[in-house]
Amino acid sequence: MEQNYVLLGTLVTPLVGAILALVSAHSNRLQRSIGVLAGLIAWVFCTALLAQVHSSGVQIYALGNWKPPYGIVLVADALGGLFAFMVTTIMIGGLLYTFHSHDKCMTYPAFVPLFLLMEVGLIGAMLTGDLFTLFVFMELMVLASVSLTAISDDHYGLEAALKYILISSMGTLFLLLGIGALYATFGTLNMAEIAVTLLTGERPLLAPASAIMLLCAFLLKSAVFPFHFWQPDFHTTAPTPISAMLSSIVVKVGVYGIFRLVTLLFIEEAPLLERWLSTLGIIGILFGSLGALRTYNAKRMLAYSTFAQIGFILVGIGWGQPLALIGAIVYAFNHAFIKSSLLMLMGVVASYTTTKTANFADISGIGSKLPPSLGWLVLIGGLSLAGIPPLNGFISKLTLIQGGVERQDWANLIIMVAAGILTVMYMVRAWQRIFQQNPLPGTVAAKDEGDSLFAPFLLICVCLLLGTVLAEPMIQLISETVRQLGDPQIYISAVNLPALEP
Amino acid sequence: MTEVLFALSIGILFGIGVFQLLRRDLIKAAIGFAILFSAINLFFVAVGAFEGDFAPYVSNVEAGRQTSDPLIQALILTAIVVSFGSFSLVLGFVNIISRRYDTVDSNDLNKLKH
Repeated sequence: MEQNYVLLGTLVTPLVGAILALVSAHSNRLQRSIGVLAGLIAWVFCTALLAQVHSSGVQIYALGNWKPPYGIVLVADALGGLFAFMVTTIMIGGLLYTFHSHDKCMTYPAFVPLFLLMEVGLIGAMLTGDLFTLFVFMELMVLASVSLTAISDDHYGLEAALKYILISSMGTLFLLLGIGALYATFGTLNMAEIAVTLLTGERPLLAPASAIMLLCAFLLKSAVFPFHFWQPDFHTTAPTPISAMLSSIVVKVGVYGIFRLVTLLFIEEAPLLERWLSTLGIIGILFGSLGALRTYNAKRMLAYSTFAQIGFILVGIGWGQPLALIGAIVYAFNHAFIKSSLLMLMGVVASYTTTKTANFADISGIGSKLPPSLGWLVLIGGLSLAGIPPLNGFISKLTLIQGGVERQDWANLIIMVAAGILTVMYMVRAWQRIFQQNPLPGTVAAKDEGDSLFAPFLLICVCLLLGTVLAEPMIQLISETVRQLGDPQIYISAVNLPALEP
Repeated sequence: MTEVLFALSIGILFGIGVFQLLRRDLIKAAIGFAILFSAINLFFVAVGAFEGDFAPYVSNVEAGRQTSDPLIQALILTAIVVSFGSFSLVLGFVNIISRRYDTVDSNDLNKLKH
């Protein structure tokens, strides 16, 4: 059995970074440098891993050299590798943002270690091949993100954090119960081994129940209707880089889990699950877009818009055929970049106000005092979110709609296109209110100095590249990913092969 | 017989846990969360404990005795650690909230409602 140490490196780097950052708690500057450095090294590892996955197949690392069905095994297939790559890339943006931020919470010694632990949880959840380890990593991610929101500069952060941890714990409980039910029926926690048994068509009593419990837990992590109500509060009150991570990559853990459910574990039940997913997705699209239109706070508007975007991805998964799955993954990949950059830009805008709020009442007309490049970046990000041609949002909408046309699901397509128009409306309106209006009388004057534009600028550049030069390689990469997803035997044989040897 | 007892106690613990979690008092809600976690740990014990009668030592395996499943115990230990971590975090939040808002009634924590 071949052990892939690059795979281990992606997980261990941020973990070691977190420990080093804890040890160097005396110097905040050093902590932030360690954070950026660990993020960069993890990104290099993830890029190498993705290249390996696409050149020589699924990579595995058996922890402690225990043979797969008995020990915990880390598996990087095309889907996990791609999602981990997305996570590490955006994490660099978040860690860079902390470098030039004036928020008070970022001077706390726990900030950078928690940030890196959140990265460990995210990468681990996407690269593990063992259901119980998935639960542990997801819980690590939840606890880290909740703690980060609770120490936010926003006074209401604590309330939102308590709300989320109680709701998310319910989700965790059902995840654990579902995993327990699977263990009771199959006697194993290895996803590949469970998939082998399920592929034979055998359906023990507890298997469908555990499928529903796992699905509900993943939907809760992605904030899909009817498990969505905590999301706008939690994403609005978090510190800027954290809210950018929450709204872009943390919600994708649930999406990743759903992908695993419908393409690896419960393939036979997939049509039933998919029908539910597209219904919930359409409700999310309508609710999120309309909610974003009438909200009072720029960050909250983007949090509502995340509902709608997750809805688009779920509808793509719900259509289920390869072209729609390509659309869904492209959408998930691009949305992460667009949403994280937009939330950081709104955070920069908010950092220029004295109260650090993004309420439209306080930031209307503040644009005349901000650097002019900020306005352009927000406009580019907003148009990209709405799916205007030269940007990457257009590519994702295009591929997804192609999937829908192939499926001939016209009713849902009309709603999706209408939601795209709503996106243009709320993004352009927000941009006009911030950058085009005259300041309202009695508004507090803007400060001279705010957070640095560097990190969101980089992410917007990536968006531009993904929409033009990198669009074709990205689509090819994701088509290959979906081709691998179509055949669960690729994943299973990569994991189980050593066990078959006598 | 033991299995029926286990099923009954898991059900009762679930009932108490859900009831407590839905209380307005945040401390009671946090304790309800802990009770729910013990219900699930008990569920894990119930599904895996009755396979064999001997501790899973190597000597017992070599002697050909039917050993119980060691993985269950590892899982429960991990689950206890995780639940303990989140439980203490919830209680910490409730502690700070009780000082900041002067109440632990979840109906009065409505500052986020605009």
